[in-house]
Amino acid sequence: MKRRLIAAIGVAGMLVSIAACGSGDGGGKDEKAGADGYKGQTLTVWAMDGSTPDTWQKDVTAAFEKKTGAKLKIEIQQWNGIQQKLTTALSEQNPPDVFEVGNTQTPAYAKTGGLADLGDLKSTIGADWAESMNKSAVSDGKQYAAPWFVVNRVVIYNKKIWADAGIKDLPKTRDEFYKDLQAIGKKTDAEPIYLPGQNWYHFVGLTIGEGAELVKKDGGTYVSNLADPKVAAAMETYKKFQALSKAPKDKDEATPQQAEVFAKGKTGAFIGMGWESALAIKANPKIEKEIGYFTIPGATADKPEGVFLGGSNLAVAAGSKKQGLAKEFLKLALSDKFEGELAKEGGVIPNKEALQSNLKGNAAAEAAAPAAAGGGTTPLIPEWAPVENAPNPIKTYMTAVLKGKSPAAAAKQVEAEFDKRLSQKQ
Amino acid sequence: MTVQTERPPSGPAVALKTDGGGPARPGKRAGALAPYLLLLPAVAATVLLLGWPLVKDGLLSFQNLNMGQLIQHVTEWNGFDNYQETLTSPDFWRVTGRSLVFTLVNALLTMGLGTLVGLLLARLGRRMRVLLLVGLVLAWAMPVVASTTVYQWLFAERFGVVNWVLDRLGRHSMADYSWTGSQLSTFFVVTVLIVWQSVPFVAINLYTATTTIPKELYEAASLDGAGPWKSFLSVTLPYLRPFLYATTFLEVIWVFKAFVQVFNINGGGPDRLTEILPVYAYIEGVGNQHFGMGAAIAVLTILILLALTAYYLRIVLKQEEDEL
Amino acid sequence: MKRSLFGRAWPNVTAVILFAGFVFPVYWMFSTAFKPTGDIISENPVWFPTDITFEHFRTAVGADHFWTLVRNSVTVTVLAVVFSLLIGLAASFALARMRFKGRRGFVIGFMLAQMAPWEVMVIAIYMIVRDASMLNSLVPLTLFYMVMILPFTILTLRGFVAAVPRELEESAMVDGCTRAQAFRKVILPLLAPGLMSTSLFGFITAWNEFPMVLVLNKAPEAQTLPLWLSSFQTAFGDDWGATMAASSLFAIPILILFVFLQRRAVSGLTDGAVKG
Repeated sequence: MKRRLIAAIGVAGMLVSIAACGSGDGGGKDEKAGADGYKGQTLTVWAMDGSTPDTWQKDVTAAFEKKTGAKLKIEIQQWNGIQQKLTTALSEQNPPDVFEVGNTQTPAYAKTGGLADLGDLKSTIGADWAESMNKSAVSDGKQYAAPWFVVNRVVIYNKKIWADAGIKDLPKTRDEFYKDLQAIGKKTDAEPIYLPGQNWYHFVGLTIGEGAELVKKDGGTYVSNLADPKVAAAMETYKKFQALSKAPKDKDEATPQQAEVFAKGKTGAFIGMGWESALAIKANPKIEKEIGYFTIPGATADKPEGVFLGGSNLAVAAGSKKQGLAKEFLKLALSDKFEGELAKEGGVIPNKEALQSNLKGNAAAEAAAPAAAGGGTTPLIPEWAPVENAPNPIKTYMTAVLKGKSPAAAAKQVEAEFDKRLSQKQ
Repeated sequence: MTVQTERPPSGPAVALKTDGGGPARPGKRAGALAPYLLLLPAVAATVLLLGWPLVKDGLLSFQNLNMGQLIQHVTEWNGFDNYQETLTSPDFWRVTGRSLVFTLVNALLTMGLGTLVGLLLARLGRRMRVLLLVGLVLAWAMPVVASTTVYQWLFAERFGVVNWVLDRLGRHSMADYSWTGSQLSTFFVVTVLIVWQSVPFVAINLYTATTTIPKELYEAASLDGAGPWKSFLSVTLPYLRPFLYATTFLEVIWVFKAFVQVFNINGGGPDRLTEILPVYAYIEGVGNQHFGMGAAIAVLTILILLALTAYYLRIVLKQEEDEL
Repeated sequence: MKRSLFGRAWPNVTAVILFAGFVFPVYWMFSTAFKPTGDIISENPVWFPTDITFEHFRTAVGADHFWTLVRNSVTVTVLAVVFSLLIGLAASFALARMRFKGRRGFVIGFMLAQMAPWEVMVIAIYMIVRDASMLNSLVPLTLFYMVMILPFTILTLRGFVAAVPRELEESAMVDGCTRAQAFRKVILPLLAPGLMSTSLFGFITAWNEFPMVLVLNKAPEAQTLPLWLSSFQTAFGDDWGATMAASSLFAIPILILFVFLQRRAVSGLTDGAVKG
């Protein structure tokens, strides 16, 4: 099974990469050769909703079509149900050639044999990829994807409401943050913070801040570590802040879209990604001048809160018949020009430190940057992916605690489901 | 609608006369083949497009089929593992029990309310009847994907109109009530949705059926001194019985398979407490990418549905026998 | 007197309450779709939209490939219904009017087929279609939808066919018609309401189907409207205005069809059921 397929792809890939290498260093010549070779082909790229700003898509498409002569079709995918969609797509004759895959889901896909080996790409263009970001793209020493970007959450707040509550300085610690929100609750009629019960990425950030692990190894297998007191401490923090919010305890930040609630101008703050402010502005253009950002404050002033580095990698389908063209796209998309543009337009952290200057002047990105160094991800193990399938046991855990269960009891409640998913046969 | 009902008394007699055994006519051979030829396209389509997936599903249920195997087109037989795991899992049995109760409650509510509304229609004056019929038809015609969306909005925790009304009625604790927060409240919303959608079908059909009851039957009953209740029991109900059987059968099937309603309203949550069998099969199979397991659960689901409807199928079987 | 007034009033009062109950969700869908977002996310519901906006409809129609999806949905639905009526009619005629060995088996077979839980078989169907290289095509969708509604069509039409008095057919045959002619000239016209009510059910089923198209057709050009509606829900989270506008657009064709066919269809439906 695997052998036959991999052998076939390996040969195809080698042929293509030899062709690409042969002309790799002579810029102009390469383009010309490519232009003839790829003409009439169409490369399909799956990008996730919210990842690629429109201008970036337009620019990269123009550049790609000019460089290779082939067509580029970027198809935007929804996060909801993406794993099922991707799995079936990868089994088909014509899978998407290039696709974005969440960093926490990459290891599982690497293990399925559905991703092409990008070792050669790493050695040609990936020397200065940020080590921390590249971790999720490597499995058993092989490069299965290319790191694209990461984002972490910030506090997005309504300046007017904070001023109305008489707050002059932005909070530097978790306690100050809490007191400020309390002040908003007392002095204004606004909801201090909109924090739904299942913003689990923020919760994962808090556990990272506590130095907690979500899973632990028990013998040869991974099992739930939610019973760890450090996880409980993170959950208590979450609960304390959530109590200030009227948001549903059993919904995540997308139902309703928290930015749209914020857009009404009756919410002091919410925890979200920089680009979410664009959603708020779209719902209510008048809100734009009131929007401010700051880093999520940590327990002490010297260290921001732990954050989840939600990142994305770009991978090439092993079943794609356009391996060479796909790599051309990766080279282009990950080039300093377009990686830089993505960072600038989208306010996301690029895959190379050298490109971080692009974030200057982007208020959301500047607020996000200080926390990124202390950020982390969910465990980068193939067993993790099933955990994120609905119904996500971590979300269940959060709602249970928020509705009055003790963290220990809630951890016990979801343990069986969590362990079952971690031990799911692959 | 469906049909499996008693024939008018004259039916069989006539049938015997036309098709029945009489002396051999020329072309009888062709005539004997005719019904099979007429049935051929339908049977072929059903066998090919329903039978084949069923067999395939049966085969998959004996396989270890996950992300990797699906992507690489690998077949890994694992015997009865999927069945063993499913049948020994307390979850499966809990879901099965829940499915049965869910089906029973919804089907009974729909049939009960539908019958009452149908009888009400028969009592109303023309204008009121048309008004109510319009309301029923609108609810009936709403595509289920659209109506689940609308119900989510009606029962939304914030800004949902149901919570607002309850708050105004003095139940202030309901102002920000999360309907999807508990098992019972989620089932409540799903049940309201299903009953709202299904009652029109039962009511309108029942109403039309009552209009076909010969007046003489009621006259005879009242001559015997029967009051309205008695004549309902002795005339209306027996006359409608076959119709009620057939409709209940359909409702049971539809409710049992109410995948879209349950899945879209709350995804089987909270904490997987509102999963009914089809949703469970989907979440374990497709959602968790445990496709072989999902196939096994699907097979078991089909068997349970068969058991659930066996009683009615037996009635039909006997009836068809009587007819010929 | 007092009692009889009450006796006359209560059915009407109940009818009005029921009417309100059944209509309200439909009304709320349409009215939300026309309200500006500010009136939708509002502490006090706005019962009657005063500030009408088409903004949400623009958002909904502005989705990529919207008109392609409309065309796909219409094509698939109409073809599935027509095919299933054609082959269903043939089968139901045999089942209602002819005597032959195994008739009972066929009836039970179609009743069993009617119970098939298609949602749980999607992966099996997916693998069959994938291995036949028929993904992203409307052909398998049409065929599967046809079979999905076929048992219901056959069983319902059987009732209608049986309800047509045999004497009519016989007298036509006595007048020199062949059996086929008798069918076409006598039975078919009488079956019109039956065909309509049966097709309504088929329309709704095929128009709504979504677990299957979700896995079979990933290419946006080959998808149908239910996917668009559900993607709307995820993409726009709780942009209820746009979601309700989308729901309205999705529901309108079926609502129109119902209103259009309702009277004949509804009466037809029960004729089939009771007299069958």
